[in-house]
Amino acid sequence: MRSSRPSALLWFACAASILLAGCTHVAPYQRGKLAHPTMTADDQGPAASHVLAVQEGATGGGSLAESGCGCN
Amino acid sequence: MQLTGRPDSIVRVFRVLLLIAAFLASVWATRAAGADPDDAEDPAELELKPGQVPEDTATYRASSEVAAYTDTDNVSVLTPSIGFGIGNLNGASLRASYLVDVVSAASVDVVSTASPRWDEVRHAGSLSTEYKPGDFGFALGGSVSSEPDYLSYGGFGRLIKDFSEKNWTVFLGAGVSRDVIGRCGGIDGECTPFSVFSRRVLRSTLNGGFNLVVDTASTAGLSLDIVFDSGDQSKPYRYVPMFSPSVAPTVPRGADVDWVNSHRLPERPLEQLPLSRRRYALTARYARRMGPATLRLMERGYSDTWGMLASSTDARFILDLGKRFAAGAHARFHVQGGVNFWRRAYVSGAGWDLPLYRTGDRELGPLWTATGGLGFNAYLGSAADPQRWALELTADGMYTSFLDTLYVVDRKAMLGALGFVGSF
Repeated sequence: MRSSRPSALLWFACAASILLAGCTHVAPYQRGKLAHPTMTADDQGPAASHVLAVQEGATGGGSLAESGCGCN
Repeated sequence: MQLTGRPDSIVRVFRVLLLIAAFLASVWATRAAGADPDDAEDPAELELKPGQVPEDTATYRASSEVAAYTDTDNVSVLTPSIGFGIGNLNGASLRASYLVDVVSAASVDVVSTASPRWDEVRHAGSLSTEYKPGDFGFALGGSVSSEPDYLSYGGFGRLIKDFSEKNWTVFLGAGVSRDVIGRCGGIDGECTPFSVFSRRVLRSTLNGGFNLVVDTASTAGLSLDIVFDSGDQSKPYRYVPMFSPSVAPTVPRGADVDWVNSHRLPERPLEQLPLSRRRYALTARYARRMGPATLRLMERGYSDTWGMLASSTDARFILDLGKRFAAGAHARFHVQGGVNFWRRAYVSGAGWDLPLYRTGDRELGPLWTATGGLGFNAYLGSAADPQRWALELTADGMYTSFLDTLYVVDRKAMLGALGFVGSF
């Protein structure tokens, strides 16, 4: 079941190039807004994470510190 | 998951959670009562004098959450959880979490096999640590999930490197976990020991990417996950109805249990999935602070060697309502195609001539799910730092359309959570 689609690394490289193109250097003292608690990525509770793991056939994009969904 | 309930263990779990909640509440009450609005630290006082020993800058964070899930397929789950973290400990941090899932189900999959409603308790815990005294650091962690017929445990490691005054952070990690799949549901609901019957699945994960500062109000990130599954993940409870070649094309979407039982062939084999799977996910994140509001976006593209393609789009908008309150909205859309061996109606030839791979797992078929939700935060900390203690309430509604399945064509679900988070 080998896929002939473009490799994941190629997609990653393309997306990274697009993201990097629009960046500017921001000094630490200019990051007051970025430090706001709602700007952090960890805003999903454990129950919601588990529901998504069970109900979506896809995975990835979360923490590595996960064990199986227990959805036997 | 075909188990009997364990009321004693549930009661014990709730006692422990109540004790922890009482502890958190008492700590909060003590801190809030003793807080002085003027106790904000003067930056000038933070400068060290010659010979002065730096203060302990460790921060402690505790959280608890109780979540409830219910859907139109007669599945309900109650999930209390707790978490604890220590940060800024000379570059080191530690995080721990523990949760319990109390599941009760009488879904159509259970009914279609003439099985009674089952109840089950799952325990899951994780522990991770990170050491990053400067621009370079590493993280290590492990997790375990246990229920009577399923055990999973694993660990991971990750390297982290900051560049350009932390305008960039690059990370690269790897993890491995092992699932042991068993079976319960005999007389009186007893379980077969793993040593007598079990299936083992080994899962290896590679994860890499970067986060970056886009401008003074925006951050973005990109990550790639590659997951290798090896082993038989087939569910030992999932029986797949078979149809003759002439009947299979006539099976309607969402055919009910009676229709299926009256038209299927006598044989009803267990599910059989391929023994390996490679999974790829590319995830992009973007967050922007706009005045009193924050917008967070996530897009994940997914592909695997079973032929599944999927897209998940997630958006959150959080608006501060003064210093003490915040309200938020959440939207998510997930769409996926089915795996390449997915069939609404599998065909069996004469003499137990079964398809090599077969499944009734709706999450392996084509579907889409739309989620909408609201959230509300109340900040209970001191006037100088109100967000130090927070009460969080969220509610999400989910609608799933199964595009090519037996028994059901859709599912409506609700997930609500009440959380309490404190830093001290």
